[in-house]
Amino acid sequence: MKNRFLSAALGCSLALFLRPAFDGSASAGGAKPDNSLLSTMQEELQRAQGELGKLDPAPYFMSYAVQDQNIAVAVGSQGSLVASIHQSNRFANVIVRVGAAALDNTHAENRASAISSGVIPLADNADAISRALWQLTYGEYRKASEAYLKVKTTTQVKAKEEDTSPDFSPEMPHVHNDYSEPAAVPDQEVLEKMVRRYSGWFSKYPYIYRSVVMVTVQRARRYFVCTEGTRVVVPDATIRLMIEAQTQADDGMELMRVESYQVETVDQLPDDAEIAARVEKMVADLKTLRVAPLAEPYDGPALLSGRAAAVFFHEVLGHRLEGHRQRGEQEAQTLAGKVGERVLPEFLSVADDPTERTLNGMNLGGWYEYDDEGVPASHVELVENGVLKNFLMSRMPIKGFGKSNGHGRAQPGLMVTGRQGNMILTSSHTVKDAELRQKLIDEVKRQGKPYGLYFEDIQGGFTLTQRWLPQSFLVLPILVWRVYPDGRPDELVRGVDIVGTPLAAMGRILLTGEKKEVFNGICAAESGSVPVSAVAPGILFSDLEVQKRPHALNRPPILPPPGFEMGESSAPAKSEGWQ
Amino acid sequence: MISKLIRLASTLMMSSILFIPSMSAQGKDSQASANNDSVLRAMKAELERSKSQLKLEGMAAPYYIDYRIFDIDRWSAEAAFGALRTNVRTRLRFGRVVVRVGDYRQDSFFQQGQGVVDSMPLDDDELALRHHLWLATDKAYKGAIEAFTAKQAELRQYTVDQAIDDFARAEPVQFVGPLAKLDFDATPWLEALQDSSGLYRTDPQIESIQSSLEFDVVNRYFANSEGTVVRSGQVLCQVGMAASTQAADGMQLDRSVAYTVSDWKELPTAENFLARTTGLLRTLKLLRAAPVVDEEYRGPVLFSADAASTVFADLVGKNILGLKPGLGQPARTTGAFASSYNARVLPDFLSVVDDPTLALLDGRSLLGHYEVDDEGVKAMRVRVIERGKLVNYLLGRQPIRGFPTSNGHGRARVPGNWPGPSLGNMLVSSSEPVPREDLRKRLVELCRQRDLPYGYYIETMGGPRAPRLVYRMWVKDGREELVRGAIFGDLDTRSLRNNLVAAGDDMYIESRILNIPHSIISPSILFDELEVKRQDTKNAKLPEYPPPKARGQ
Repeated sequence: MKNRFLSAALGCSLALFLRPAFDGSASAGGAKPDNSLLSTMQEELQRAQGELGKLDPAPYFMSYAVQDQNIAVAVGSQGSLVASIHQSNRFANVIVRVGAAALDNTHAENRASAISSGVIPLADNADAISRALWQLTYGEYRKASEAYLKVKTTTQVKAKEEDTSPDFSPEMPHVHNDYSEPAAVPDQEVLEKMVRRYSGWFSKYPYIYRSVVMVTVQRARRYFVCTEGTRVVVPDATIRLMIEAQTQADDGMELMRVESYQVETVDQLPDDAEIAARVEKMVADLKTLRVAPLAEPYDGPALLSGRAAAVFFHEVLGHRLEGHRQRGEQEAQTLAGKVGERVLPEFLSVADDPTERTLNGMNLGGWYEYDDEGVPASHVELVENGVLKNFLMSRMPIKGFGKSNGHGRAQPGLMVTGRQGNMILTSSHTVKDAELRQKLIDEVKRQGKPYGLYFEDIQGGFTLTQRWLPQSFLVLPILVWRVYPDGRPDELVRGVDIVGTPLAAMGRILLTGEKKEVFNGICAAESGSVPVSAVAPGILFSDLEVQKRPHALNRPPILPPPGFEMGESSAPAKSEGWQ
Repeated sequence: MISKLIRLASTLMMSSILFIPSMSAQGKDSQASANNDSVLRAMKAELERSKSQLKLEGMAAPYYIDYRIFDIDRWSAEAAFGALRTNVRTRLRFGRVVVRVGDYRQDSFFQQGQGVVDSMPLDDDELALRHHLWLATDKAYKGAIEAFTAKQAELRQYTVDQAIDDFARAEPVQFVGPLAKLDFDATPWLEALQDSSGLYRTDPQIESIQSSLEFDVVNRYFANSEGTVVRSGQVLCQVGMAASTQAADGMQLDRSVAYTVSDWKELPTAENFLARTTGLLRTLKLLRAAPVVDEEYRGPVLFSADAASTVFADLVGKNILGLKPGLGQPARTTGAFASSYNARVLPDFLSVVDDPTLALLDGRSLLGHYEVDDEGVKAMRVRVIERGKLVNYLLGRQPIRGFPTSNGHGRARVPGNWPGPSLGNMLVSSSEPVPREDLRKRLVELCRQRDLPYGYYIETMGGPRAPRLVYRMWVKDGREELVRGAIFGDLDTRSLRNNLVAAGDDMYIESRILNIPHSIISPSILFDELEVKRQDTKNAKLPEYPPPKARGQ
């Protein structure tokens, strides 16, 4: 396992961005609970099953999934609109498995052979939709049967695999038709105004070189049918507001702060005053960061805020609990043989529960009713009192875990794997949050260290990957303070990189706070980008190792920004609209 | 000074009100509208500031800076099997900033010194636009400094006997044209796309069918540190359809049609579009039943003007671009005509001109028309091939050996690529035009002389070497027989020079929107000998099961 675990060691990056938009319009959430799309899918699936069933090899499982989506995006920068998109799409996945559940075309490196996808008509035109599905299906069948031949040959030639689990788990069929309407998409102008207004607030600060505000409103309905009889229709709606600001220190280090909100309706977004306060905090942090001293190599007590701890656990533990990682020959399988063993201090438990929509009034972004294989979401105890119990399972079995627990997720077009939904860390050894800082100081004193570190924010792999905005650099937004035991004020440091073995670090957790904090984001991995939530209280480590992060040596801009040619006082008139 | 006056005079003569030097009375209007344009104002302000102040201590200051902004408003839609799959309106603004350090002789245009591309604010907000330009300029300048060092280091590895300037000088130009607007409604076309793609119902063996439209309005803004300021707007409309089927032996058969015009009024009516689709589907049906070509044929081949335009685009169009080869390479250009300057590349009776100043031909708009190119150089009519001999290349501001200045053909792909020499309106003409019917007679006559039972007539091409609609013209009874599965063996610049024996008196305008809008105008052509072979691609399987039965909606 790589030691730079905050980078994308597991190929994960939780991104505050829009899922690739294969998306849709008119009929997404059309007014009537119309099941004609579902019945077209059902009929065409049955026909395909009948026809392809006559062939050798015959499919033993097929499914059709359609994401019918309406998406509105507005992006602002420096008080102006940079992008505004409103569109609809229907994206279909066709899955064909040939062979048998014990060994099929998805075996080992061949998972992608089971899926073909494409855009299908926006309107419920049964002729056109069934044509599109037919094309996808016979093409997919060819891919699947070819892969199956390869799989059969390979398994005969190669030595027996360590994990001899079947390739597909048996599941009960489910029928669930939820045609309820998500909240209406607000007028595009409302979104445009919002991003103009918020991004404009940054333009009075000459040292904020770049700012981007993006709002994404996604309303979708997901349809799923399979040859086992499952038929699922569920709504899917999210609104995300993301605010990003960047600057550079004189030595060239690029610095970034990001804030994000995830809600279900626009009126749940914070009001202007709250956002203005956030913006001011981002600006103030960046201003301090620019002149903050560089981190020095350090090994000692560290306190993570709930938000930072949530991200830390998502990256370090959450991804290692994904079922498929215990099986792949290319995977490190860090936790594969550790079921029943202690992996965390005994006062800590970790669960993943996509069935919860909110926690203490906060929205949980990883919420869903059915996963992308039509299996109902369920609460899974992953680590109980420090002991590893379970994994995040899709329908791909692993040794000792033969069934899905409703965590098979993917973005449209990609094959499902076990993924996180709402990962929640619970502690039975807590102190009042107000006392956490003192506990850190006590530990610093006990170890005789000059200072401790307080991680206010980590965004690890959580980073920005907007597809339509050229991304000039990648930074890990992180906010770390030195906390001195002698009463000196806390000091912000920059360029902190966490090193060492993450799982070992988790064994050095002393205690936690009480109040859980939520981080909502988009997590990217092999099966694409899916919305997730990570929840944790503040955490005190007896020992965390950090080093200086290497950084680019580009100088900050040579000329002052436009509007500030005469120095900082010449703030442009425009920014007077600040409230 | 005198040359400047001459240029000015010719400018006034050649161009209408649109092309205005800044000192004339109308120039003031142009100046005024430039001043009213926030985009141009922002570009000029940052340009001025960067020109006078952008410099890293101990490093060279820029000797040249340019800004280019593309503003694209696009309406695109696609229907398949009678239903819409996408219908999207998109607005984008991209900016590209080039900063050059060094001098015209040798500069930093290399690797990361080739400019910075970024999205730009969509609002006409001068300060926000300036902010984005400011960051891009800073990055471009730093990239240029590094690139300059890297380039000099690399150049030290080669011996260059004939130094060619890196960048051509050009006179400043001021041209502020009207902005184009997407002010027409595509909605009626959505219906036509659905109707057209719904025609698959007439033939159960059609495997795929898509009808699509893309209506683009592109406004371009350009300003450089030499004083050039250009604004121009263009409308690009394309409506098309594509369908495919398979013959009983599995051979994949495709047909497509596209109408590409720069004025939406020139689009066909919905009825005509449907009729065209019907015609095209009929040829697919005929193709399915058509015999496969014989294994090999060597003999005369007649190309329709349509098919000929594809041949000229590939064999002439690509090779007349004055593209400078990589650092240290001695060739004049990168194309097949690199060493053909002043040599014969076509038969004596053919000449080729590229004329972007031509807006209309036969009452039809030409896609390759523009007033000023994407490097701020005025468009020029260039005689490229005269009576078969290559006499010039199409040039942007990157000189090639023997051609030190631009001839107004430096154009950029939307949105971000750097400008390079490109076609505008390429016209192929013959000094000995032959009536179309006579060309057919000559084809048959040539076959007869060589004891060939038939010759080939190519109606349309699917790609540079792959004909799509091919007919055997039988000598004995004059019958035309559709065949499939043909591919050319030796259709190349050599056969173009040695085997092209006649050209027609007809003309086809092929408008291409891909990458850089351009038009190719060509007559039909006759070759006395070409090799036509059977394509040796594997035939795909037929679908494993039949398509769903239409419910009839």
